[in-house]
Formats: sequence, structure tokens, C-alpha cells
Amino acid sequence: MKKHANFLRCVAAAVALGAVPALAETPADTLLMARNIDAISTFDPAQIGEVVTNEMIQNICDSLVSIDPEDEASVVPAMAKDWTVSDDGLKITFNLVEGATFPSGNPVTAKDVVWSMQRVLKLGFGNAATLTEYGFSEETAETDFVALDDYTFEMNLSRPYPIALILQAVASNRVANVLDSEFLKGEEVDGDYANKYLTTNSACVGPFALRQWNAGEVVILEANENYYGPAPKLKRIIIRHVAEAQAQRLLLEQGDIDVARDLGAEDLRDLKENPDLEVVSTPLHQLYYMGFDSAKPEFADDRVRLAFKYLVDYDALADTVMAFLGVPRASVVPLGALGALDEEEGQPFSLDLDKAKELLTEAGYGDGFSARLFVGTLPYVAPIAQHVQENAAKVGIDLQIEQMANAQLFSAFRGRDFDTIMLSWQTSVPHAHGMLSRHAVNPDNSDEAGLTMFPTWRASWYNEDFNKRVDEALFEKDEAKQIEMYKQLQLDHMMHGPFAYMFQLLDTAVLGSSVTTWKWNAFRVYYADIEKG
Amino acid sequence: MSASDLAGSAASNQSAPSIRWGRVAREVLRTVASVLVTILGLLALTFFIGRLLPLDPVLAILGDDASQEAYDRMVVQLGLDKPLWQQFLTYVVNSLQFDFGTSLTSGKPVTEDILRVFPATLELATVAMILGTGLGIPLGVIAAANRDTWIDQVVRVLSLIGYSAPIFWLGLLGLTVFYAGLGWVGGPGRIDILYQYDLTPRTGLYLIDSALAGRWDIFADVFSRIVLPASILAYGAMAYISRMTRSFMLEQFSQEYIVAARAKGASRTQMIWSHAFPNIAVQLVTVVALSYAFLLEGAVLTETVFAWPGFGRYLTTALLRADMNAVLGCTLVVGLIFITLNLLCDIFYRAFDPRTR
Repeated sequence: MKKHANFLRCVAAAVALGAVPALAETPADTLLMARNIDAISTFDPAQIGEVVTNEMIQNICDSLVSIDPEDEASVVPAMAKDWTVSDDGLKITFNLVEGATFPSGNPVTAKDVVWSMQRVLKLGFGNAATLTEYGFSEETAETDFVALDDYTFEMNLSRPYPIALILQAVASNRVANVLDSEFLKGEEVDGDYANKYLTTNSACVGPFALRQWNAGEVVILEANENYYGPAPKLKRIIIRHVAEAQAQRLLLEQGDIDVARDLGAEDLRDLKENPDLEVVSTPLHQLYYMGFDSAKPEFADDRVRLAFKYLVDYDALADTVMAFLGVPRASVVPLGALGALDEEEGQPFSLDLDKAKELLTEAGYGDGFSARLFVGTLPYVAPIAQHVQENAAKVGIDLQIEQMANAQLFSAFRGRDFDTIMLSWQTSVPHAHGMLSRHAVNPDNSDEAGLTMFPTWRASWYNEDFNKRVDEALFEKDEAKQIEMYKQLQLDHMMHGPFAYMFQLLDTAVLGSSVTTWKWNAFRVYYADIEKG
Repeated sequence: MSASDLAGSAASNQSAPSIRWGRVAREVLRTVASVLVTILGLLALTFFIGRLLPLDPVLAILGDDASQEAYDRMVVQLGLDKPLWQQFLTYVVNSLQFDFGTSLTSGKPVTEDILRVFPATLELATVAMILGTGLGIPLGVIAAANRDTWIDQVVRVLSLIGYSAPIFWLGLLGLTVFYAGLGWVGGPGRIDILYQYDLTPRTGLYLIDSALAGRWDIFADVFSRIVLPASILAYGAMAYISRMTRSFMLEQFSQEYIVAARAKGASRTQMIWSHAFPNIAVQLVTVVALSYAFLLEGAVLTETVFAWPGFGRYLTTALLRADMNAVLGCTLVVGLIFITLNLLCDIFYRAFDPRTR
């Protein structure tokens, strides 16, 4: 027995020697943020498609204009100090700030803006759609974007699109982030417009500069001391990869990080009660929805798609799995966008199995049918899918859930190889057109057209009337009338559209007591304004 | 024995060394050939599995929103439009030069990524293996020597827990108790982020790098962070090793030579450590090597819970992101680890087990 006691004493001593107290606080000039950064695959503004990297690049590379931190529906100057619009509404002339320099020492000129915007079109990544949607194209890029002199840049439109919408798209997307063309031309490989170089480097002007990115480990941003705008409040932003929400929570509670970004509903509910921490949310212009393949006979009928909207207990989900993560929304246009239906009008559905059954019977599917339901891997996806599956079973629909990696999910959706599918769609403009242009418009439904950037095309859903009305609404000059047109479009889309929208997603973060200012909206997190006390 | 017999025997003795060298050369050649065939098989397997997986590397690069024209252009750029045999040939030639292409998820060459993430896993797995083997073997021997006593039962229960407790749960429990509750160990992550850039990686093994740099503050931080994940991994390895050791030892105890040794008056300690244990050493090497290989593959769940930027997480992320270059590169590395460890085991067997010669 004595031998055992000695052994235990040895173990206790070893443990005591190994014990190192955790750090109690983070440095005052550095923000330490825990986030799942697995999605980052590039820092090239023309290629970035992920929410995480988009947030960072907006703080690394200034665009022509920026979304107003105080009002997400407004645009404020950035690299362009002001702009004028021609009488015919086809030309925007931007005057650039003078004296801004890239890290290489090159001055920022209109030629850099031209090169940066043209390369978006020429590279043809997903972001190019932001420009092609408004009539810009690879073929016309040389005349679409013109440098009049070093500090005057001209954008030529093919149609008199609403200028506010164009500016919003430019501000919140990654199509006009001004890159150092002179320097990057030297980094080109096989005419790639320095895409390879920009994957892991930055060559632009912003409040912060990318110092380091180790995939799956960390991103370090450092304040740009030569920034032409107001100096950032903090010296460094460190975004540490912590995939597991529980680990993020522990780090935050221990004071080892300042901000946690990926906590689940349960953790958020607990942390809300913690007086040392603050849970903050902002609605995104992103909708979580269910899509149906209208090429399949059962889903070609409006009433079947409509029936699915009565199979969801929106409020119950909002209080549980979606708490802090989403609010019920059935309209195709998110709250906060110009022309959006209000909260009540935008969500008239509730769980009603009788109504669903009635619609199915009217459509000739009273005996139900079976279909596959493809879903991704986000934590709240499986519970929502199971919820819909259970209710669908009650009205005779047998849904077989197949969970898959996002890459596989997107592939199935784009390839029109699905029955039903759940995923989200984000628009980059606080304007009804942002969603309607993709979720109500389908220019050509043929397989050959391959219009994969239109979810409507992916869902094989085509409606000439919607195509026409969305276009008419866009060019309506009377704003009151335009808003009315958008509202009617939403109501009609709710009844006849290809998708069942369930939630408008929220971005939720938990701040440690050290963070005194945190500024964000649906389109940006303003790192330069973050303050610590 | 006649004079001619003696002469013949002498002659054969003289030629014996050259015969042995020939045999060794043949053995080496056979081994090299078998390794090459295995590697080629592995390359073929990884390549074709990669092509069969319903993942789209083009979408992974371009994003969900890309146009069909951009998609088609990228297919050509990646060489995915070429015949399969041609793609395979390119893959084999490149792989043999350790060129797995660029990772879509990091934008860097896969080889560079592997060299960055592998030391993290190597360090974790090695510490875990030292702990797991150091505890597992003695526990297994003690359990066998005290068969069906309370000691044996305790070891059995400990092993069963080690086998069956989900590592994810153990990790979170460990963090809650030892990091958040008691503050005995460091939090998730391999090193405090504020230290990371003070340390110049030489070997990539932070314990060694910090010691070489004489930065004992960093060493303490790294140690405080590795101790928990390594212990949790070690627990699983210990459970397996102790159960195997116990069963090997029990097999030896039933052998006649042990009975003979006891009859000759050998002490219990002598019988266990001098007679039985050396005879299980060779088998144990295989068990330990296999456990090590599994740990080197990367303990995905442990690495996820502990935000450990290791090989397992890298491979899993690559797979989920359809980063086929990285997946193929990593799979090949895992294969090579197994081949190397198997080869080492073989050599060890030949050296220490006369029956295999």
C-alpha cells in the first residue's frame, strides 16, 4: 500500500510541475478572434467567395466606395472621394483620393482601378457575376472601365441602372477593390493577372494589411501605418482557427480570446446570461431556403412547392436550433433591403399540416410521393431537415435525407441533380433586386444555356412574367412605385416561386469584456473601428 | 565421417559468406520491388478513388456562382479534359517527385503544406506514443502476471474506458476540467499565438525548437498545451497496447519453457522479465508500430477539439473542400508511413526472430 501511496505522490508532483496557468487577458493593442477559417482558400478579391474571407478583404483592400458604417443602405466615399452621374444615367465619373500609396510605394491611380475591375471580368470567377449582372462584360471591359487621367475613373453603363444599386454592389462585393497593377503585372504567371500571387498575398491599400495566413491555423492582419484614411484603433487583428464551438467558448470564458464567432444556439443562450460577455447580432442579407427541382413532375406544380411552406414550425425552430442564428422569413427579399415586405407580410406561413395536405390533394398528390433531400454540414441543417422530414411524412411525403459536404451539395444543385435541397443564398446589395435578379429571373431554362449562376436555372424554374416584371421594377424611376412593384413581386413569388424560404440568417458574435466597440452590419465588419478598453 | 566429407564441408564453409551475400542482395531487391509495387498500387488507388468521389474540384476553385464558360475553362486548365490514363501518368510522374500540385485550400504547394502540418502531428503522436507505450506495456504485463485478481480487473476497466470513450467527449471534458476549471494546462492551440512568431521553426517540433532556442517560457507554454491532447491520445493507445501485452504474456505463461524455468526455481520477476517478456518483444513492436502509424495519420477529432493544426485536420478539411491535390498527397503520405513502419517491423523481425530468417 505504501508503494502505491508513493506512486500517487509522484503523479501529483508531476502534475503540479506541469501546471501552467492560462493567460488571463489578451494584449491591449491586439484583437484575438476565434473563428472557423477553414473556408478561406484565397485572398484574391476577384476570386473570394466565402463570407469569412470577404470580411477580411474588405478591411485589407479598399474599394472605390464603401458601405456606410452607420447606415448599411448608404454608400460613402473610399478610394473615390466623390462621383458624378451623367444626365442620361449611363456614366459615373469618380474622382479618386490623391496621395494614397500602395505598400510597394506606387501611387494609387485610376489605371489601377481599371486594371482591378477588368481583371474580375477576365478571370471569370463567381464574383464576375456582380458585374455581368449589370451589363458589363469581358468583351466590353476596355470601354466599360476607363481611366480619364491619374485620378479620374469612368464607369460606362449599358443601361440606366439605378446608380445607388451599382454603387452598393461595388461597395460590398469584391469587384472594385483597388489593386497595385504596376506591381502585380510583375507577378503574373501565364496571364493569370497575378491570381496565384494574390492567393496568399495582398497588394492594395486598406486600414489593415495581410501579414500572414496559415491555412487552418491563423490569419494575422496588421494596421497599415501609411493608411490615407483614419488610423485603425488597434495594431493587430489575429483570427485564430478554432473549429470547435465548445473550444471557442472555453477560450472566451477564460479570457484567452476577445471574440468568438461560431457559437451554436445553446452556447449563445448560456453566454447571454454571463454579465462579463456580450452577445451581438446583425441580420445578414442571406436566406436559408429549400429548393425543388421543377423539372420533376411533382415539383412542377406550384401547389406542391407551396405545401412545403406549411410543413415548417418556424417559431419553434427560431426558438431552438436557430436561436441567435436566424429569424423566420418567407419572402425572397430579406428584411432591411429596399422594397422588402415588412416582418409580418414577409412571413405569413406557419405549420399547418391540413393546409399542406389540401394543397397536395389538389395537385393530385394526396397519396404523397418520395423524394431525396440534400443538405450540407452546418450544425443547424440536420435538425431542420429532420423537422421537415417528420412533418412531410405526416402528409404522405417520404423524404430521404442525404447529408454531404458543401462542395458536393453545390455540385448537385448546379448539375440539376437533386429532388429537394436546403442551402443558403446571400446577396451583396440591400436592394430587392439583389435576390430577385437571381431567384425570380431565369433568362433561358434550356440545359444548353448552362446558366448555373441562376438558382432558378438550377431548379429548372422559368417564368417569363417574372423575368419581365423584375426588369421593369429595376428601371422604374418613381421609388414609391418601384417599392410597390417589388412588394407585389415578393407576394407572387411566395405563392409561385421555386423556393421555400425559411430563415433570414443572423451573424452573431460574443464579445469579451475587453472589447468596447464593435461595429458591423450585414455587409461589413469594420475592423478599423474596433476598440478595446 | 570420411576425409572427403570433411573436405566438402570445409569447401561449403568457405563459400558460405558469398552465398549469404547473394541471399541478402536478393532479399533487398525483393523488398525494394515489393515496396515499389505497393507504392504504385497506392498511387493508382488514391488517384482512382479521387476521381470516383462525387466532389467537384473545379467548383471548389471557382465558387458556386461561376459561369459555365469559366467552369469549362478551368476544366481545361486543370487538365481534367484529358484522357484518364494521361492524367494518371502525369500524376504518377509528379508524385514520384513529391510534386502534388497546389492545394486549393491554402494556395500553397501541397508538399509545403504537408511539411508544415506534419510536424504538429508527429510531435503530438510521439508524445502520445511515449506515454501510451510507457504505461501500456507495464500495465499489460502486470495484468497478465496478476491474472483474474483485482489488479487485472482494474486494468481491464481502465482499458475498456480507453477503448470506448469517444475521444471528442474526452477532449472537451479534459479541457473543461484541466484548462477551464483547474487551470493546470494550456488551452486549445499548439502554442500561444503571441509566442508563435518569436519561435523560428527548425524541426517544426515546437518542444524541440523552443528548447534549442533556450526559450523555456515558450517550452512551458507548448508543454502545457500538448500534455492534454497527448494524454487523451495516449489513453487510447495505452488501452490497446496493454490488452495486447496481457494476451501475449498469458500465451507465454502457458508455454513449457516457463514451466521448466519455474521448476528450476526461477523467481517470479525473473520468469516475467527475463524469460517471458523478451519473447513477446517482437510481437509488441508490431502492435506499437501500428498504433504509432494510426496516430501519425492524424487524430482528426483530437486535432479539431484542440485546434491543433495537424495532418489529420488538414486531410479532412481538404476532403470536405474537394481539394483533391491535397487529398491525394496526404493519402500517399499515410500510405508511405504504413509502408515504412511495416518495413521497419520486417527488418526488426528478421534481426530478432530467428524463425523468419
